[in-house]
This record gives sequence, structure tokens and C-alpha cells, in this order.
Amino acid sequence: MSSTKEKLIAHVSKEEPAGPTNKVTVVGVGMVGMAAAVSILLKDLTDELALVDVMEDKLKGEVMDLQHGSLFLKTHKIVADKDYSVTANSKVVVVTAGARQQEGESRLNLVQRNVNIFKFIIPNIIKYSPNCILLVVSNPVDILTYVAWKLSGLPRNRVIGSGTNLDSARFRHLMGEKLGIHPSSCHAWVIGEHGDSSVPVWSGVNVAGVSLQGLNPDMGTDNDKEDWKSVHKMVVDSAYEVIKLKGYTSWAIGMSVADLCESILKNLRKCHPVSTLVKGMHGVNEEVFLSVPCILGNTGLTDVVHMTLKPDEEKQLVKSAETLWGVQKELTL
Amino acid sequence: MKRPDVQWITVTSSSLSLPEAGTRDGSLIHCSAPYSRQQQPAMLVSCWCLYLGAQRLYRHVLSMASVVQKLITPLFSGTLEPPRNKVTVVGVGQVGMACAVSVLLRDLADELALVDVVEDKLKGEMMDLQHGSLFLKTPKIVSGKDYSVTANSRVVVVTAGVRQQEGESRLNLVQRNVNIFKHIIPQIVRYSPNCILIVVSNPVDVLTYVTWKLSGLPKHRVIGSGTNLDSARFRYLMAERMGIHPSSFNGWILGEHGDSSVPVWSGANVAGVSLQKLNPDIGKDTDKENWKETHKKVVDSAYEVIRLKGYTNWAIGLSVADLTESLMKNLNRVHPVSTMVKMNVFQGMYGIGDEVYLSLPCVLNSAGVGSVVNMTLTGDEISQLKKSADMLWHIQKDLKDL
Repeated sequence: MSSTKEKLIAHVSKEEPAGPTNKVTVVGVGMVGMAAAVSILLKDLTDELALVDVMEDKLKGEVMDLQHGSLFLKTHKIVADKDYSVTANSKVVVVTAGARQQEGESRLNLVQRNVNIFKFIIPNIIKYSPNCILLVVSNPVDILTYVAWKLSGLPRNRVIGSGTNLDSARFRHLMGEKLGIHPSSCHAWVIGEHGDSSVPVWSGVNVAGVSLQGLNPDMGTDNDKEDWKSVHKMVVDSAYEVIKLKGYTSWAIGMSVADLCESILKNLRKCHPVSTLVKGMHGVNEEVFLSVPCILGNTGLTDVVHMTLKPDEEKQLVKSAETLWGVQKELTL
Repeated sequence: MKRPDVQWITVTSSSLSLPEAGTRDGSLIHCSAPYSRQQQPAMLVSCWCLYLGAQRLYRHVLSMASVVQKLITPLFSGTLEPPRNKVTVVGVGQVGMACAVSVLLRDLADELALVDVVEDKLKGEMMDLQHGSLFLKTPKIVSGKDYSVTANSRVVVVTAGVRQQEGESRLNLVQRNVNIFKHIIPQIVRYSPNCILIVVSNPVDVLTYVTWKLSGLPKHRVIGSGTNLDSARFRYLMAERMGIHPSSFNGWILGEHGDSSVPVWSGANVAGVSLQKLNPDIGKDTDKENWKETHKKVVDSAYEVIRLKGYTNWAIGLSVADLTESLMKNLNRVHPVSTMVKMNVFQGMYGIGDEVYLSLPCVLNSAGVGSVVNMTLTGDEISQLKKSADMLWHIQKDLKDL
């Protein structure tokens, strides 16, 4: 007696079904992890999505909820487990796991708590996806990208920190509001440390190639009547403000992660400000990760754009590097 | 933005025909006037002084001009046009935000408005979405406790409302939500009299009826998300058993959203091949393959997800975005959504005489529910719908202040 399925469908292919071609894993199903997962799903970036976390009920609930939306998506396989075997053969692994900033808490405070979590996560990821590209989102991202790089043993082009991709997006949004133009037409780069001491490169701020600093030489200084410096200050304060209002930030970082994944998975070779090893650049001598404009493709972070920075901008980068190294050298890895 | 000044500067600089700021040009303005030979040198000097003064003034004014003014020459400075594809989401809880993000990531709206009573959370959510605007194609995201931000919406998604407390009767829950909707619905309609309302809050069928009554809108413009999600879950689970994509499995769940939803087994098909024809026992207790279990899983899914993670949001958010797409783009696609089953004084669908909302296959376009598909249901299925209708009417008739 053949089943309904057998009566309906005749299997004709002698080949085994091929494995995933563009698999993405998201580690951590908190607000940031799920925002990233949903953004990736809605951008049709992947043919398989895996979720991992330690909280089993929450994990199962989240994966079921996403699966129930499969009718509306083009990612046919959505899986989840506490065990990292579900993450096997991933092209990109997004790491959002870890403790999050409390109200008023700085990112550097979270370090040791998150290092211990990474000591468990990173080796497990590498075990099942030895050729993956790691995208670290957990804060403090620059330090944790360094930690992930050390713990994974991957070459530096395969370990990327989400870095100032979000800071730049926030800056471009605020700049767009000020000028009445869509953010994608407002070009600006915020580099360096993701957080309080990020560096807005004023010389690069432009619309249609017209340098705004050329029109307003005081831009970014305290003499500036238009107070563009406060735009950067608002970017730095944004995270704290949103956390104060709704408890956490999720949507913007989720969308920015999907943007990075798109460049990697589709081999776009687009330029993004992300966190990479900057030893030897801009006067930095320590083995630290800071955000600079990088080219992203399917082998990860292949090239770095060398920005022409002013002396005080370089000084800020060097200072951030020293602060980060000061924290990093105390860590037990 | 000091926009009104810009035109003044542009006009002035061109009429003065002055050189660009920072350059040196010896052009003179000639003062042509009939003066005597004796007075000419003095006049020339005065003209020269006037010119220098004007140039200094021009440079001073230009240095005061903002970056915006120097960068951009506006061509059109009339009033901005109202949005053409505005979506409002009422309620920024997990469901509301999942709906908002799905609408944004599907590029369905040119403006998104969020409304809620919790002001901090509302502002935080709006800011978080705005910070992602680089990656989106929805240039305006606004929010406010005041409904004026929702003006000129085409689609309004209502996710606000309270959840059942332990031991609370459905009637009590409904009456509490009626009181909330009494505040929300008239305000929505006041600012967007031509909108289409999608009600998501539970119990959705009763609350869609309540919304219809409170809004005064014609019935084709008030929709309940209904069994759109149940059907999506059904298609996913059935397709998994078959090893195909959910969109290639056609199956409809109608009637009441919840425990007594009706799976229309006669309509279940893949590539037009009816599953019931292959397996006449499908959906019955006698079915050896126990396909009925799949429908039971659909009913249980919501409870299961709530038990595991506390609430459901992603699937309902995606399903609402799917409905919104049909409405905004005038697609005339068929969706199982909650609509008024009573057509007019004389007749209702399937002989139902009460004014209740139940999910039926509806053709959705830019006017709302364009038409309803008359599904051929078995006697058993029709009696299930009638039973749901009776129960819904039983709750609705006791509601106060509608």
C-alpha cells in the first residue's frame, strides 16, 4: 500500500541532494541575533540558516517561529540546536552571543565575561566549519574580534568584526536628515574603535563627490557654527540612548550585519568599515583590531583601503589601540 | 535647515554677477548716469567703494551660508507631497515590531508610522529602525503617542491590546480590548479615513468585528489577519512531510483563528493533484497516515511557541507583510483572512445569518477585500463554520458600548 506521498511524487534523481551552498549560522538568539537572522532571511541571502544558543527552550521557540514563516521566505532549511553539529559547513558564522551592555555601562566592561563565553563557542564553530568566515558582533567588538582570531586559529582575512559599520550607518542617517538626502547618497566614514572613541573622518564626508569640509573648513571643530561635531557625538550616544529607551538595540545592528553578509556571500567586493587587524597601519604597533575601510568578498576581508588621515585622527587611532592593548594583554586566552 | 534663505542667495549672487568667493577678479560695475565731466572721477570712486562694500557683504553672507545652502540648489520648494504608500503599526510590542520590520525589509512603504502608549519604548524602537535607514528604502519613519503621525495611511495594522490573564474568561478579555479599541480605532479613522485596517490582536475574529463597528468603515476595508498564519503553518508542515517548498503545497484553513479552525482537505493539492483523491480518508480519524495530526500541530503551534519563548512574532509579522503587499500593490491575490460573512440582510456565506467575521479565501487589492472565493465545503465543514459563528455571536452580542 503506497502512501499518499508515494502516489503523488515519484523520486527520479539518483544523486544525493547537494549540501548548502550559502549557509549562515547565527550564534546567540537574543534580540541582536534574531534581528540579524530575520534580516538575513528577508534579504534571501542563504539557503540554510542555523541557530545556536545555550537556552534550549528559547532556541526551539525561535526556530519554530521562523519555520512557520517559511511560506513567505526563500530559505528552505532553518535548523537549531544546542549542539554545534547543526552549524556544519557554514560559509559565514555571526557571533552575537555574550552579555550585553546594561544602562550606562561601557562596552569595555563586558570583556572578561564575554571572553569566557567565547572560549567555549569559537573552537566549536571551527570544529564544524573550519573554512568559515567569522563575523563578530558581541561587544566590545574590537577586543572580541581579536579574541575570536586568537581562539580560532583562522587567518586574519576570515575574522571580521562588525566594528563601525553601524556607527557609519548612524552617522550617514543623521547626515541625511541634516541635508534632506537619503543616507545612501551621503558618504561618510567613521573608523577606529566601535564606541566612545570612534573617529569620524571629516575629510571624507561628501555628497556626489563634493567634500563638505571643502565647503565648511570648520567642520568637525569646536568653531563650527553648524556644529557637525555634535552629529558624531549623537552617533556615539545613540546606543546608550536607545538602550535607555527600549532596553537594548537590535534592528539597526541586525540590518548592518545582513549588509555585511550580503557582501561576503555574494562576493561583492564592496567596501565597508569593519574591524580588522591594523598592526602596522596608521602608526599602530600593537596587535589590535580597529575599523578601517575594507573590501569584503567570499574569502572574507581581502583588502584594506588606506585612508589619508590627519595627524590628530591617526593619534586617536593610536590611542584607541593602546587602550585596547591595555585590556587585551590582561586576558587569559 | 535654513532652506528659505537659499533662493535669496542664489538670486542675489547671479544678479550681482560677482566673482566666486575667494577668487580675485577686477570686474567693475558701471554706473551709467549723466554726470558732468568734473563729477565723473568722484562718481567713479563712489562706485568703486560701493562695489567693494557689496563684495565684502557678499563674501560675509556666503561665509554665513550653511553647507546645505552651498551644496544644494533646490529646484522645487513647494509643499512636500503626502506619502503615497504609508503604513501605520499600532502597538510596538513583539508582534508590532515584527510586522514593522517585515514591511520595511520588503520595501512596501514610503513612510512608516508607529503608535503606542508607552512613550520611551516607542521612541527607542523608532530610533533603532531609523538607524538602519541606510539599508532600507523607507525614507520616513515616525512615531508618536498622538495619532496625527498616522495621517494619510493606506494600511493600518492593529496589534495593540491585552493578553488573557490566568483564569480570565474570553468575554472579559474581549471587553477589556473593546475599551482599548474604543480609543484607538476612531483616532485611526479620523486621520486616515480611506485606510484599510488589518486587525491582528486576539481574539482576532471578534476584535475585527469590534473594529468594524467602531470604525464605521465599509466591511471590505476591515480585515482580520485570521487564519492567514494558520494556513501558512499548515502549508509549511504539510510541505515538510512531502519534501517540497510550502509555496508549492496548496492548502486552506478557514473559519475561526484558533482551536476550531477548519482545514479544507478537499482543497489540499500539489500541482493541482488533490490529496484527498489519492487518499479518501485524509483528515479523518480512520486515516492510516494520520494527516489530521498535521492540522492538530497547527492549532497547537501557537501554544507551543509561547511556551518555549514567551510569545510568537516572526511568523505573524511575515504573514502581515504578505497581506500588506497584496493591498499596497493591488495584486488581487487570494488570502485566507477574516472577513464579514454576512453579505446583506438576506444572505450570508454558507447560510450564516449572524454578523460575524470568519476567515474565508479573499481576493485582496488596493480597495481591501475585492471579492470572496466561494469554496466548495463539505456538509461537515459548513457545520463547523456555523458552530464557530454561533459561538462568536454569543460573545459579541454581550459586548457593551460598541
